[in-house]
Amino acid sequence: MEFEGVAVRVGVATILRDVHLKVEPGESLGLFGANGAGKTTLLRVIATLLRPSGGTARVLGVDLSSQDRFDIRPRLGLIGHQPALYPELTLLGNLEFSARIAGVPTDAAIGALEAVGLGKAADRPAGAASHGMQRRVEFAREIMLEPELLLLDEPHSALDPSAVELVEHIVAGVLERAGAVVLVSHDVDRVAPMVTRTAELAGGTVHE
Amino acid sequence: MSDRFWRQAFAVAKRDLDRERRSGEVMWVTIPFGAIALLLVPLAVGINQDVLQRIGTGMLFVVVMLFGVLTAIRRTNIETPEQRDAIALLGIDPVAEFTGKTMASAALLLVFEVVIGVVAVALYGLDISGWWWMFAVMPLAAVGLAELGTLSASIAASVQAGPALVPLLVTPLAIPLLLGATQTVETVGGDGVNLSWLVLMTLVVLVLAIVGVLTARPLQETR
Amino acid sequence: MKSTRRDAWFDIATIVVVVGALVFAMLSPRVESQGDSARMLFVHVPTIWLAYLAFAVTFVASITFLVTRSLRWDLIAGSSAEIGVVFTTVAIIGGMVWGKATWNVYWTWDARLTLTAIMLFVYIGYLALRRAIPEPEARARRSSVLGILGLVQLIPVHFSVTWWRTLHQTNTFRPRDIQMDGPILAALLISVAAFTVVYVRLLRYRYELARLHLAEHEAAAAAEGPVAGDAVSAPTIGPSGA
Repeated sequence: MEFEGVAVRVGVATILRDVHLKVEPGESLGLFGANGAGKTTLLRVIATLLRPSGGTARVLGVDLSSQDRFDIRPRLGLIGHQPALYPELTLLGNLEFSARIAGVPTDAAIGALEAVGLGKAADRPAGAASHGMQRRVEFAREIMLEPELLLLDEPHSALDPSAVELVEHIVAGVLERAGAVVLVSHDVDRVAPMVTRTAELAGGTVHE
Repeated sequence: MSDRFWRQAFAVAKRDLDRERRSGEVMWVTIPFGAIALLLVPLAVGINQDVLQRIGTGMLFVVVMLFGVLTAIRRTNIETPEQRDAIALLGIDPVAEFTGKTMASAALLLVFEVVIGVVAVALYGLDISGWWWMFAVMPLAAVGLAELGTLSASIAASVQAGPALVPLLVTPLAIPLLLGATQTVETVGGDGVNLSWLVLMTLVVLVLAIVGVLTARPLQETR
Repeated sequence: MKSTRRDAWFDIATIVVVVGALVFAMLSPRVESQGDSARMLFVHVPTIWLAYLAFAVTFVASITFLVTRSLRWDLIAGSSAEIGVVFTTVAIIGGMVWGKATWNVYWTWDARLTLTAIMLFVYIGYLALRRAIPEPEARARRSSVLGILGLVQLIPVHFSVTWWRTLHQTNTFRPRDIQMDGPILAALLISVAAFTVVYVRLLRYRYELARLHLAEHEAAAAAEGPVAGDAVSAPTIGPSGA
């Protein structure tokens, strides 16, 4: 991905201003910053969910101002702050739904759940699962879908110590496939060993 | 319409029906509430059987329409921005999403119509000879209301006061469906049913489908 | 808004046309069955025609926005809908006054009246939606869908007088069957033309106002102010604070 002079305004508020950022295949970037700095906004722009107000942005070779940005979405993965599971569906049901939409065989779902240590909780409704369990299901989803560019927003939050290794595993898996990772976190110590470079978001722009 | 389209549409419909099966909101809350609404009317207008028989069919479809609105409000409330983002990133075809949501809502509304219809016949003593036209009227009303509800929920998604706006958006636009349904049933018997009303309903359903398909992508964009 | 000499001449011409239409309306022959109250025709019919026109413009402008993504078309759609809502309200109130004079009731559950009132609510909903979305492009995208759907309601309103036996008069303009005296028809057509001119002027002014609001919004957004994140600082309590 390559951003040059990217700005994001929401209403009259400027969230990002003049962001220059480049992440090559095989790289993982750790992005830090204070609360409200715009880290999540930047991730959403990379994920094509928010269009920049200015500058040029290319992700996986596609200009984000073009209609082609919709075509690259299946090649991206995003694990956000809040879980995106449907509380009425089971943990397995949520994964199977993702598999059907993405065109992946649904029997991959149970394997992915087992990989994240939730095989025995497959039939638990997501609404009855803890925040940490729901997070693990989202990791299972990305293990199943194998994105080329993975975006992680505070990936360690709510995970118990045994699950923390999941983050390293999933980042390593993407890099092995010559993909790239952008990882937003406040936890510098945990993140530093698994990224190839770091940057800070402050004043609406990225400083490396 | 490719295999991918139908696979995604059916996956979305299945998701919504599974969610309903587990939460039971239509079966155990909305249907009883609809029955209560039908019970309230005679308390207000009097229990004269002739009056009730005359207004019964109309009341049935008014209740169906208003509960169609409730279903749309619920749809606006239950999908979070994170869920919308996640399904967008899975590469969903927005037209498939619109189709799947409409199919699920239409199925639930059809069940609601049938059950409430039985209640209305029992409570209002309605004459059901010629009601085989309901095989056309009820599905058309269900599909039309489902399309309207899905469109309105998309329009009002992530809007402040979105759930409050949805009734104002859906109810007036559902009037042609209400008119078509009640007028078709009213003209049953006598000289035979006036098919123009069914044609009106069909036209409305088609127009809503076309608008839903053509605007699915612009409505999916958050910005 | 900068007022040009051309604008001033157009405004004067509009006033002249409206006054002229009123004069023709007052000079037209009296209708014996309804007396002078029948002259409401020269206001009531043009106001509802204007409402139809305004909502049709909203429909076309909404489609054009979705195709071109130019916000100009959204501003036209929104401006036209506002004018349509105002004139629908005027038409309903005017109709009620006329109804009182003719049928001795302000309101009947007549199909045309009822469906026109419902049409009013469709577009009130449209305006409410626009108010609820501050971001111009998101507002344009969502309201344009509703602007297109609104046409679904116009069809039963227009055909209501033929679909049902109603108190309301059947459609005034039926191409092959105009049942109206020549002078009355002429006065009516002049009124319709006058109201159309009024609509065009109102649309122009309302669009200009909307365009200025949008420009103001865009200028504020582009201004080099602080970023939103600058409002967050370190806490002043706790180990790192004072």
